[in-house]
Amino acid sequence: MGRKLAEHIGSILVVALVFALLIVLFQAHQSSEQRARLDPVGPYLSLQFLDFGNPLHRSLFKETLNAFRPDSAQANDALLQAIDRYRELQFTDPSLKTGGGERGLSWNTAARLPGMYGSFIVVYAVVLLLTSYAARTVAVYRFVTAKQHRESALRELWAHLTVFRRETHWVGRVRYFGRAGTLLARAIVKGFTYLVLFSPAYVIGYALKTSLETDTSLFMILLGLLSNGLLLTYANKFYTLLVTESRKGYVETALVKGLGGQWIWNQPGGIRTASLIRIEKRFPSHVLDHIYLNARNQYLSTMKEQGSFLITGLIIAEMALNIQGHFGYELLQQILNKQYDVSLVMIFGIFLVLKATEILVDWQWFRESRKYGNID
Amino acid sequence: MATLTNPLSNSASRRLVRVVTTEKHILWIIVWVAGMGLFWGWAKMFLNSLGLLELQLAFLNSMIGGVMVIVFSLGLGWATGVCLYGLERSGNKTAYLTLNFLLNIIRSVPQIVGILLGYVVVTHLMLGGAFQTPSQQILVTAFLISLVVFLEVSDMIRERIAYHRGLDFYDAMLCCGIPEWRIVNVEILKKNSLAHLVQKAVGVFGMAIFLQCSIDFIVSVGLTMEVSSTNFPVTLGSLLARMDSKQDILAISTVFADITYVKQLFIRHLQGIGVAWTIVYTLFCNYKIANGLVSHYRL
Repeated sequence: MGRKLAEHIGSILVVALVFALLIVLFQAHQSSEQRARLDPVGPYLSLQFLDFGNPLHRSLFKETLNAFRPDSAQANDALLQAIDRYRELQFTDPSLKTGGGERGLSWNTAARLPGMYGSFIVVYAVVLLLTSYAARTVAVYRFVTAKQHRESALRELWAHLTVFRRETHWVGRVRYFGRAGTLLARAIVKGFTYLVLFSPAYVIGYALKTSLETDTSLFMILLGLLSNGLLLTYANKFYTLLVTESRKGYVETALVKGLGGQWIWNQPGGIRTASLIRIEKRFPSHVLDHIYLNARNQYLSTMKEQGSFLITGLIIAEMALNIQGHFGYELLQQILNKQYDVSLVMIFGIFLVLKATEILVDWQWFRESRKYGNID
Repeated sequence: MATLTNPLSNSASRRLVRVVTTEKHILWIIVWVAGMGLFWGWAKMFLNSLGLLELQLAFLNSMIGGVMVIVFSLGLGWATGVCLYGLERSGNKTAYLTLNFLLNIIRSVPQIVGILLGYVVVTHLMLGGAFQTPSQQILVTAFLISLVVFLEVSDMIRERIAYHRGLDFYDAMLCCGIPEWRIVNVEILKKNSLAHLVQKAVGVFGMAIFLQCSIDFIVSVGLTMEVSSTNFPVTLGSLLARMDSKQDILAISTVFADITYVKQLFIRHLQGIGVAWTIVYTLFCNYKIANGLVSHYRL
């Protein structure tokens, strides 16, 4: 764990150093650019008695220039144009505007960001916990139903329709078509659920924008959980780990030794649904307990990747839906306004969140591994 | 009465049915193609010709971008995976740790942040005159996306090498005088990991489409001042970000108040709904194809 921790701290230091260097370079570039823009026109603009908005003053200035430098009429015109351009920029370029809010890294910005950052972390932590719980639950449920050899609703419907019974009694007919209707409805609901779960956050967000309050943290949590395919992707990863574990030799040994191996719900020797929905899932006296524990241990390393993907999803949602006052939206605004120093600080904040997740995951993995005697 | 069926075509169709029912990845490829074909037919009937043309172009650009991401990711992943293995074997600990450290830093940057920073750089380069043709822009954006997704391929390559390294055939080949680079690149990766590579490529494609659509959507919303002047080629994400497409998506909520409005979604609001459908349906089928490959090849 010490080596891992050193690596994490090392990478935080390296990234901090690189970002600090970039910020210094950016600020130096920005001030030199501003100086270069002001250099030729600055002395003239600082003349208090001259108003370049006044046509009379402009004409007088031009005539004076031509009188003093009669041989460089073109240069005089160019100077006047540069003054006009600079004055125009004072209205259009946010970096030259006065009273348009503070720019760059400042105490005011520093005071504004932590609140947004804090709520971003809270939303991230809640969604991460919810998705890891939901992914494990969905995966175990899918694993058990696969062991039960249950077919998909569409396949069941196909099988049901191919054995068309020539029922003569109306009760039989109602039952037959009722079953077909139920299977069809199940398939439609399942298909619709899949489409929602695979929808990018901005599609769901825009679809609900006029009917729901979309700028709340609760909505962000739901969006993070139910969009971008996050839940199904990681449920699938856990399911694959369960399948791989179930093929290993110890499973058969355990079954031979008499451990429960019945894949039925709520029956003696089977699996209890209460165990499935518990946060800390345990399946006492069932081989699934061991399969699950081993798969869960391997899944820990996937959680780092899940954290990264989740942050991606949350930032996409906040940026795409223009949710003001949220961290992702603010980051986009800073990039748009070319405030790269502030943007880099915000990105470093996101990097720290991910690093914290990685350290926690590594620590948990280290604890689990020590428990099972895999490492010292 | 003699049967008129052709035994050859009968066996071919039977084989097709067998393949479709047993190999889910094939089934889902067919489902995707059929779904997109049906949608194209519908769009041809109800979408105006300009909208249809743009939709086709956006679809094509997105798919080409996705394929390019696969190519770049496989290249980068293969190169870094094999390079790390080579450094580890050669005992060059400093180089190995440095490369590993750098890759872990890339891993710790959320994909969208990495791509967004890349877009800022590319936009500045474009304003300076670089990447002016649509094909160059698709290539450079695909490369940016592959920079944040290739690590998955790299990890898989290392996993496959480590797995085969523990088997007898590795040492046996070394004893036979076969060079190690050949064992790793040809025997392990090309001959014995093709199914893994294909499955990973499918996964990368899904991720690429998702990231490309998302970043194009965001860039169209947020970085317009910078980007509009240089015009990125139209993709599904940027088409969805247009005002009329957004209005189409917003119209979905009308259905909650008036269920009969649902039929209007597929006619009047076809552009936005169609783009969203294309993205979501492609991602869903991609997930199913990847799953089908896992179960068929027992990966």
